Amino acid sequence: MVLDNLLQTVVFGLIEGSVIAVGAVGLTLSYGVTRFINFAYGEFLTYGAYLTVFLAAGLFGSSLPLPVAAVVAIVLVGLLGVAVSRVFFEPISQRGALPLLITSIGVSFILRNMLQGWVGVSAKQLPVPLMRRQDYFGLVRLTDLELGVIVVGVVTMLAIHLLLQRTMLGKRMRATSGNRSLAEVAGIDTTNVVRQTWFISAAAGALSGVLYAVLFSPFRPVVGFEYLIVIFAATLLGGIGRPYGAMLGALFIGLAMNFGSTYLSANYTRAYAFLILVGVLLVRPEGIRGGEF
Amino acid sequence: MTGNSPTEDSPAGNGTDDSQDLLEVDGIVKSFGGLVAVDGVSFGVEEASITGLIGPNGAGKSTLFNCIGGVYQPDDGEIRLDGEPIQGRSPTEISRRGLGRTFQTPETFRGMTVRENMAFAAKNQTGERALGALLRPGTVREEEAAVQERVDETLDFLELDHLADDYASGLSGGQRKLLELGRVLMLDPEIILLDEPVAGVNPSLTDDLLARLRELNDRGRTILFIEHDMDVVMENCDRVVVMHNGQTLASGPPEIVQEDERVVEAYLGGYD
Amino acid sequence: MALLSGGLSFLVTIATIGCIYGLLTLGLNVHYGYTGLLNFGHVAFFAAGAYTSAIVTMPPPSTVTNASYEIWFNLPMPFGFPVSLAAAAVVGGLLAFLIGLTSVRLGTHYLAIATFALAGVFSDVLVNEAWLTNGSFGMNSVPKPARAMLSADAWQLAYLGFAVATLAGTYLVLTRLMDAPFGRLLKGVRESEPAAKTLGKDANVVKLKSFVIGGMIAGLAGGIYAHYLGSVVTAQFVPHVTFTVWAAMLLGGAASNTGAVAGAFLVVAFEESTRFITTLYNWIQSVLPEVLSGILPALFGPLPNNPSFIPSMRFVVIGILFVLVVRYRPEGLFGDPAEIDALGEED
Repeated sequence: MVLDNLLQTVVFGLIEGSVIAVGAVGLTLSYGVTRFINFAYGEFLTYGAYLTVFLAAGLFGSSLPLPVAAVVAIVLVGLLGVAVSRVFFEPISQRGALPLLITSIGVSFILRNMLQGWVGVSAKQLPVPLMRRQDYFGLVRLTDLELGVIVVGVVTMLAIHLLLQRTMLGKRMRATSGNRSLAEVAGIDTTNVVRQTWFISAAAGALSGVLYAVLFSPFRPVVGFEYLIVIFAATLLGGIGRPYGAMLGALFIGLAMNFGSTYLSANYTRAYAFLILVGVLLVRPEGIRGGEF
Repeated sequence: MTGNSPTEDSPAGNGTDDSQDLLEVDGIVKSFGGLVAVDGVSFGVEEASITGLIGPNGAGKSTLFNCIGGVYQPDDGEIRLDGEPIQGRSPTEISRRGLGRTFQTPETFRGMTVRENMAFAAKNQTGERALGALLRPGTVREEEAAVQERVDETLDFLELDHLADDYASGLSGGQRKLLELGRVLMLDPEIILLDEPVAGVNPSLTDDLLARLRELNDRGRTILFIEHDMDVVMENCDRVVVMHNGQTLASGPPEIVQEDERVVEAYLGGYD
Repeated sequence: MALLSGGLSFLVTIATIGCIYGLLTLGLNVHYGYTGLLNFGHVAFFAAGAYTSAIVTMPPPSTVTNASYEIWFNLPMPFGFPVSLAAAAVVGGLLAFLIGLTSVRLGTHYLAIATFALAGVFSDVLVNEAWLTNGSFGMNSVPKPARAMLSADAWQLAYLGFAVATLAGTYLVLTRLMDAPFGRLLKGVRESEPAAKTLGKDANVVKLKSFVIGGMIAGLAGGIYAHYLGSVVTAQFVPHVTFTVWAAMLLGGAASNTGAVAGAFLVVAFEESTRFITTLYNWIQSVLPEVLSGILPALFGPLPNNPSFIPSMRFVVIGILFVLVVRYRPEGLFGDPAEIDALGEED
C-alpha cells in the first residue's frame, strides 16, 4: 500500500514533469539565443491552451478534431512568438538584458489581458473525455490521457535533442547561444536563427500549455502566468540556457511538487517547486548542471 | 628613480624570504576547469617600493591580481598582507585591511559623476549608515565637506578636475583608468595594486601618470602594478617580478632581471 | 454614505490611492532605481503590511461573520493606529529582510525570478493559512481610525490629509537619505558590485539594507491601505500590483523620488478613470452625427460585453506603457538620462 502510493506519486511527478519539461526547454532555448529571461513566456502556454479550445469548438469556421486543433494552435503560437520578438524585442536587442526583461513584463501584460478582455475570466476546458484509470503492472494507475502526456513529453524531448544535435538549425542555434558575435563571424545569420528559435520556443510553450490543459482542466487566462514560476524553477534548476539541464530540472520539480502535495500539503504545490529552487541556488547558483549564468 | 633603491637581490623565483615584505605571495595556484592560470607563483612586495609585474599575455597576471584582491579564491598557496594571511577572504575585507586595486577593464560607476565616484571610496562615513544620514546631519555635513575637499585635491592631482561633474559613462578609456586610480587614492590604502594603469591612457598623460605614481611612492605608498611596456617598468620600478605560464620566472631589481637569461629567452627575446 | 459631490469624491479617492501607490513606488524605487535590485515581488511587502495592520486591530472573531482567524489584538482606535502602522512597516521590513537574505547574493536575473516566486509563495500562504489571515474571506472589519468622530466626507478628507502627510514625510526622509552618502553607497552598488566591494563596501549588506527600507515603506503603505478600505482580501494582492508599481516607477523615472510620486499619481489616475471608458464610448457615439455613428462600431465593434473587459484593457495599457517607456524614454518623466542609460547597460 505504502509502496503503491509512492510509485503512484512518482508517476504523477513524471507526468507533470513532462508538462514542465516541454515548457522549460522552450524557455531555455530562447534564453540561449536572446540572453534575457522572458516573463511573457507563460502567455504562450495560455494561448496554446485557449487556441486549441477555440479551434476545437469551431470558433474559426469548422470545428477541428482535438489533436488537429492542438497542432494548428501550436503552429499559430509559434508564429505569435516570432511576431512578438520582431515587434517588441528585436528593436531593443542591442540595449542589454535589463530593458529586454522589463519589456517582457509589458508584453506579458498585453498578451494576457488582450485575451482576458476578449474571452473574460471564466474558466474554459478542453473537450477531453473523462477517463477511467487503468492498472499498469498492478502497480500504478493511469488514464490514457496521462500516458499520452508522458509519451508526448518524451517524444518532444527526443525531437529537441535531434534538432540540436543533428540539424543545421540546431548547430546554428548552439553556435549563436555559445557566442553570438563569433557565430556571426562564422557567417551565421543570427537574426534568422533567433527568429527560428522564437518559433520553436513559443511552440514548445504552447504544447506545454495544451498538455497542462489536458491534465488540469479547467483553466483561466492567468494559467500560463501562474505556471511561470514552476517553469522558471525547472529552467533555473537545470542551469538557464541548458536544454538538457531544463529537462532534468523539470523532472525534479515535477517529482518535488507531487511528493509535496501527496505527503505534506496540497495547498503549496508551487511553493515546493520554488523552495527547492531557492535551496539549490543558494548552494549552487549555477544550477544542477553547472555553467555560467 | 626615486626613493627606495632595492637593498637586496632576492634570488629569482623566490622573493618570500624577506620578512619585511608588505605583501607576500606564496605558491598561489588557480585553475579554471582544466586550465591552470596561475601555477605556484611566489614573490614579495617590499614596503614603500614600486614593483612591476610583467609577463606575456596569458601569463596569469590579472588572475593573480584577482586572487590577491579576493575576487577569486586560490586553489592553493598563501597570500599575506602585513604578515596576515588574506587568501580566500572577501574583496570587501581585503580592501578594509588596506589593499586598494584597479581592474584591467576599469570598473567605474558609469551612472554616477566623477565626483560621486571618488567620494564613494571615502571610508567610515557616518552618512553611509541610514540612521546616521537621518539623525546626524551636522556630522554628515562636516565629514562630507572634508571628503569633498580630498576629492578636489585628488582630482587636481590627477588633472581630472575639469571633469568632476561629468558622468563616468562619458569618460575616455584613459580617463576611466585615472578615475579608478583616484578612487583607490581616496581609499588611502597601504598598498596599491594597479592593473595596467597606463594602458589606453593618452601618451601625453602617461608620463604625468607615472610621475604621479612615483610621487605617491615618495610619500610612502607601496605600489604593485602590471604593465606590458618594458621601458615603463624598467624606468619606474624598484623591483620587477616576471611571470610566465603561471609561474614566477624571475624577480629582483630591473637591471638584474633584464639580464636574466630565462627572462630574455621567454619574454624579452628580441625585444631590444 | 453622504458623499462629497460625485466628482470631488472621485478625486479624493484617486488622491488617497495615489498616495498609497506613491509610497509603494518610493519603496520600489529604493530597490530598483537606487540599488538596481530587480524586485518583482513588491506586492508581498504591501500585503505583509496590510495583513499586519488587520491582525493587530481586528476585533475578536466571535464578533465578525465568517471569521476563522485565531490571532487578533483588537488595538483600540485611534491610539492603536500609529502602533498598527509601525507594526505594518516593521513586518514589511522583516519580510524584505528574509527574502533579501535568501536573494541578495543572486545575480540580477535570478533575483528577479526569486522575488517574483517568493511573492507567489507568500500569496499562497495568505490564502491557505486561515488561522492567521482568515483565508480567502479576508479580514473585513479593519477599523477606520476616528471614523466614529467624523462624518463620512470629513473622514475621507481627513484620511486623505493623513495619507498626503505620510507620503510627504516619507519623500523628505528618502530625499535626505539619497542625498547623503547612503544614497551614493546604494548607487555605487547598483553600478558595479565588484568596484564597490574593492572599495571596502559590503555590497550584500548594502543590498539588504536597501531591501529592508523599501520593504518597510511598502509595509507602511499596506497599513494605510488596510485602514482606508477597512478590509484586506487576498485578491487585492496579486502580481498586477507589483507591476502597476513598476509601471509607475518607470513612467516617473527610476532613481527619482519626484518621478516615483508623479508616476504613481498618473498611473492611479489613469486606472481609476478607465471606469468611464464605456460611458465615454457611448457618449461619443451618441453625439456623433448620424453618418459617422457607424464608424466607431465598425472600427472597434461593440465593446465586448464581459465585465473584465475594462480592467483587462487597463492592464493592456499598463503593458504598453512598459514597452514604450523602456524603448523611447528609459529615464521616464523625471529621471536623469545619463544615470538611467548606464543602468540599462548593466551586465
